[in-house]
Amino acid sequence: MVDEIRRWSDELASDPASLVFLQLGEALRRQGQLDLAQRIALRGLERHPHNADAHDLLARISVDRGELERAFDEWDMVLRLLPAHVGAMKGMAYVCFQQGRTTDARRYLERAAAVGGAGDAEVAAALANMGRAGPPTGTPNGKRPSVAESRVASPAPPPSQRTGHGSSPRHQFAANDPRALFADLLGDHEQTALLLDDQGLVLAGIYVGEDGRDVGAEVGAELSGVTDAARRATRHLDIGDWRAIVLETEIAVVTFAPAVGDGLLLLAASKSTPLGLVRRVLDRCVERARVWLEAAGGGR
Amino acid sequence: MSSPFAAILQTLTRQRGVRASLIVDQNDGIVVDSNLQIGQDGDRVAALAASLYRKARLSAAAARLGRASFMHLEAERGRICAAGHNDLVLVVVADPAANIGLIRVEMMRAVGALP
Repeated sequence: MVDEIRRWSDELASDPASLVFLQLGEALRRQGQLDLAQRIALRGLERHPHNADAHDLLARISVDRGELERAFDEWDMVLRLLPAHVGAMKGMAYVCFQQGRTTDARRYLERAAAVGGAGDAEVAAALANMGRAGPPTGTPNGKRPSVAESRVASPAPPPSQRTGHGSSPRHQFAANDPRALFADLLGDHEQTALLLDDQGLVLAGIYVGEDGRDVGAEVGAELSGVTDAARRATRHLDIGDWRAIVLETEIAVVTFAPAVGDGLLLLAASKSTPLGLVRRVLDRCVERARVWLEAAGGGR
Repeated sequence: MSSPFAAILQTLTRQRGVRASLIVDQNDGIVVDSNLQIGQDGDRVAALAASLYRKARLSAAAARLGRASFMHLEAERGRICAAGHNDLVLVVVADPAANIGLIRVEMMRAVGALP
């Protein structure tokens, strides 16, 4: 295991965009190096904000650190990205159970059983245990199930639920939640997109920060001001309406384009992404936003 | 008397489609040196481009995206490129059909030579 960790560390050092951080983070978690595992997961999420496995990894690390609410939020994100992720359902059931929310826990387990099929022994055992233990509070003896029992519903997504580069689950999601409106357009998980209104408020998309939180609102508010300066410059220089702005920074390439109704489309990509590719993805996101806004009410 | 920036600006203005190249003080938007085609108002370009670049730089920093190195605005009838170094900004105004890839390469090379 030590050799593997060293090899994965070297691989990640030579290619920071590599998905090997998933294996490295998991190995460190299993070794109990939770701070380091968390840092690896968070750095990975910076580059791969739409990678469900990365959110799943951070959730499992959070559970081990005793940060149940954060774990729940991460698994919630996994389900937004991959609605059929049984591991996330089991994880959320575990968190609910630990928090005494047995009704919610049962609901997640039943959902996992429905999605994963009746053959998932872990889910079946967890449901059976819950039936034997009863609710953690309000029972005649008021006894909560032990951690060992509740761990039956522990987060351990089977390999079949691992995310790859397939796009079908994202398509399922795009219709339901604005945060994943662009998910299937963002290749290799190295890009993130936000649709902002004329006030800089997020309408769709997501932007995950260093700490794994969605910081789209903050980033949108900070960057939307650039478009006012762009309008002023193009008007005074008489070069017509602006179509796009590309801003290269130390760590990212950020592109902007006007969206329907004085809105703004923002696409951020890793520094290693070719500029031409970024522009093509931006154009596709703009078109997606146009269709979505029109469907939502004829633009804003 | 030619300024120390004359050669840099001349190289940029020789690029196809470039209308103006300027070196501007990032803080006050005042022209340090320029190489303009006829009809270009250097003072106006300098003030607006420096303001835009400054706003982009500050916004990127506030959004924790790190230091901005290059900005390119594309409009219907022209392009504005800017690259900063210390308190100076190298600005290029170009036609829509200009080869922005070449201009960017030249600008990144030139900005490294700025004091």
